[in-house]
Amino acid sequence: MKKLELLAQSVLDAAKEAGAQSALCTVEETETHEFNLQSGEFTLLRTLFDRSVQLSVLMEGRKGTITVNSFEDEAIRKAVADCVASAQSAEPDEAWEFDSEPRDETFTEGSLTCDTEKLFTRTKELADDIAERHPKIMVDELITEHKAIRSVCKTSGGVTSRSAHGFYNVSLMYSAHDGEKASSFYYGDTKLAALDKPFIDCALIEWELSSIERQLEPTALDGKFNGTVVLAPTALFEIVLSTVNWNFIGEDALLDGTSIWKDKLGQQVADERLSLSFAPRAEDVVVGARISEEGYRVENFDVIRDGKLLGYALTQYGANKIGGVRAGCTGWHPYPHIPAGDKSLEEIVAGIERGVLVMRFSGGEPSSNGDFSGVAKNSFLIENGKIMNALCETMISGSVTDMLNNVRAISSNVLQDGECCLPFIAFDGVTVSGK
Amino acid sequence: MLQDFISAKKSLFESGAHTELRMQRNRERSVMLLAGDIVENTRSDAAGVSARVYRGGRCGFSSIAECSSEAAERVLRAAAENASFMHAHVPGKKPMLPSLPSGCFVCEAINDPAQRVYTEYVRALDSYLVAHCPKLTSRRIYATEDSMEKLLVVSDGTDAHTVLPRSYVYLFLTAETDAGVPVEVYRAFGGERTFDLNFTDPSALYPEIDKLYEQLMQKREGVYADAGLRTVILGGELTGMLAHEAVGHTVEADMVLSGSVAASRLHKQVASELVSLTDFAHTAFGERCPLPVFVDDEGTVARDAVIIENGILTGYMNNRESALHFGVEPCGNARAWSFSDEPLIRMRNTAIHPGKDKLEDMIASVDDGYYLIATNNGQADTTGEFMFGITMGYEIKKGMLGRALLDTTISGVAFEMLKTVDMVGDRIAWESSGFCGKKQPMPVGVGGPALRCKVMIGGR
Repeated sequence: MKKLELLAQSVLDAAKEAGAQSALCTVEETETHEFNLQSGEFTLLRTLFDRSVQLSVLMEGRKGTITVNSFEDEAIRKAVADCVASAQSAEPDEAWEFDSEPRDETFTEGSLTCDTEKLFTRTKELADDIAERHPKIMVDELITEHKAIRSVCKTSGGVTSRSAHGFYNVSLMYSAHDGEKASSFYYGDTKLAALDKPFIDCALIEWELSSIERQLEPTALDGKFNGTVVLAPTALFEIVLSTVNWNFIGEDALLDGTSIWKDKLGQQVADERLSLSFAPRAEDVVVGARISEEGYRVENFDVIRDGKLLGYALTQYGANKIGGVRAGCTGWHPYPHIPAGDKSLEEIVAGIERGVLVMRFSGGEPSSNGDFSGVAKNSFLIENGKIMNALCETMISGSVTDMLNNVRAISSNVLQDGECCLPFIAFDGVTVSGK
Repeated sequence: MLQDFISAKKSLFESGAHTELRMQRNRERSVMLLAGDIVENTRSDAAGVSARVYRGGRCGFSSIAECSSEAAERVLRAAAENASFMHAHVPGKKPMLPSLPSGCFVCEAINDPAQRVYTEYVRALDSYLVAHCPKLTSRRIYATEDSMEKLLVVSDGTDAHTVLPRSYVYLFLTAETDAGVPVEVYRAFGGERTFDLNFTDPSALYPEIDKLYEQLMQKREGVYADAGLRTVILGGELTGMLAHEAVGHTVEADMVLSGSVAASRLHKQVASELVSLTDFAHTAFGERCPLPVFVDDEGTVARDAVIIENGILTGYMNNRESALHFGVEPCGNARAWSFSDEPLIRMRNTAIHPGKDKLEDMIASVDDGYYLIATNNGQADTTGEFMFGITMGYEIKKGMLGRALLDTTISGVAFEMLKTVDMVGDRIAWESSGFCGKKQPMPVGVGGPALRCKVMIGGR
């Protein structure tokens, strides 16, 4: 760690010498051990040794950023010169800022050493469990890995943040097959701090496998109806949370004025039973982010509480631009957490006359106004309170703004995959169309 | 150019195994202008060396972020150890890969434009937008270049030194309807070659900006599509997406072996007789492909992979191992994104062949349907079920183009939908700005002519 810290400091010193008024440098080393299975068979073991130096400089309000993966003196000298030249090619923008409040912190989390034998054993166990409990599931791809990351971030304003963390990840993609009958494929990632229990018992892996196995004979919906759509956590993220995060509270949408929530701070934007936070420090998160790209400490952040909009996903740059407040956490997958409801998924389904349970969504990028449409993948028809046949060639469309205000129920079941904690949510008033 | 630290290491290759040793550098340059402000101004370079050892169906792989003789030796040792670990735990008994002709392919060096080349170009475009597009409520310009330079030596096959640069400018324009609802259009310009060669004069793009702005104004008055199964004319960009997403992925041999829809359709009719589809290596219809591949990352000299001929599924895309499994010759589809990535079966330039119909005649032939011309994303399933986001399209009423459409999506099942194709346009359109995602990103080209067919369209 000392070597990384010295390198970060020397890069900052070189940037200052080259004329930077302010600078931020992150130096990182990563070691990865990864098993791969394809079509149910072990194919590959990879070990990767990577490193990177990222430097951002501000020169009279002009910003440049460079990333290289060499620690060699010559490469670093060239990187600093290129970064400075990049900054000089930009226009001044006084909104750029790195954290200049001095602090010294160290985070150590998880195991930094891969237990390769145990990882192999757990990986094989998952493949065997699937073959035994779900014989119709074909594992297209199973990737299990351990990552150990050591990094130091320093700013010219006096921040020194060290982090050493290790974690395991299970990435599974599969489909069900029986002769020529086949389901759509499904996939998911689960991040784990340790290898203390069988992978199949983690997150919702077992429930998902069972569900996909029942999707061997999907049928196309006949006609079109306006009904209730129950979004499983993955589909909830794909449709609702990504739209909220990017189109409604995202920095780009606020800076260019396309956010339809740009004047909604403090106002009711969703059903009062709905709360949403970005929570990298939550207990269920495995090695969440600790420091932002501007050098600030990453914190949990309430987006919506009891249906009211509490904040935008702004960096310090964005906050300076529009006169807002920097969010504790931003990014494309900012550890979303939604508190569970009080009904089980089964109870929610029992109350639905006609609708669809959607596990995955394949759709176009939602419009700025929140309109979306796409294919309800890995989905089931719900009729008279019961889950019926699996569906194919069935589209759902609607408006995310309307859905947020048309919440029928929030489940007590949640997905905790090491990065998020999300329930199933039933929304009324969504268009479902078939052939 | 990369300094060669690896050719001399062939003597260290393990006998009885197939070995690849690869040094690679990826570079990316980008500038994003949002509402006139530069919000992204970045350069990145990543280089290193990796080795893969294949023995009996099990692979060991290792990489180090360092280009040196010592690093090359270290990854060779680590890859061999990993292959041994795999054999000790799950012994593999597959035969050795058949030998390929040896050879050597060498490319030329490429430029590395300074960052001001990018910033000055996007500034010029932004000034034009401000002066000539008064109803914009938002504008974003993204200029980017990425390139891969690879030095490959293999235990048998063709050694190669290749480079694949590409550069693009993306324009995202937004306006509001009279009701205050934002609508957007988007387009990418560019292709193979470095930024300074593709974008010499900003004024060359001004006519294209005018066309895009005109589409945005039409979209301000746009209507929702009528959801359901409809007759449509797919523009070439969408046909290319169809070729890649809905057909291409299902015929990648690893997907076939996992039970994709193509597994049971070889030599069967999967499309109208008017449809032929090829994954081109470097030359198509007498011209250089958008992103040519000459040697893949297993040392296979690249050639075209014919997938569909006159509606019949004739083959898959393979790496050397799957080619052996299916008893065919590999065509050079094994590609890796970065030095730390292993080669996977990937597409190169996947296109449906042009036919004989004129676009005007195709539109005139539709009584009630849609002409769909732009997409911002696409996804497909191993079942062949696909979905594309539609960002620009028009109604067709009684053979005439009508109102513009608001954003929607289309979907279908590839091998069913392709049987509904009854007219094929005579001009091919290529696109290459995106990344294909399959464990690793990968630059690919997609292409096709206009198609008349039936698809499901989303709407209200």
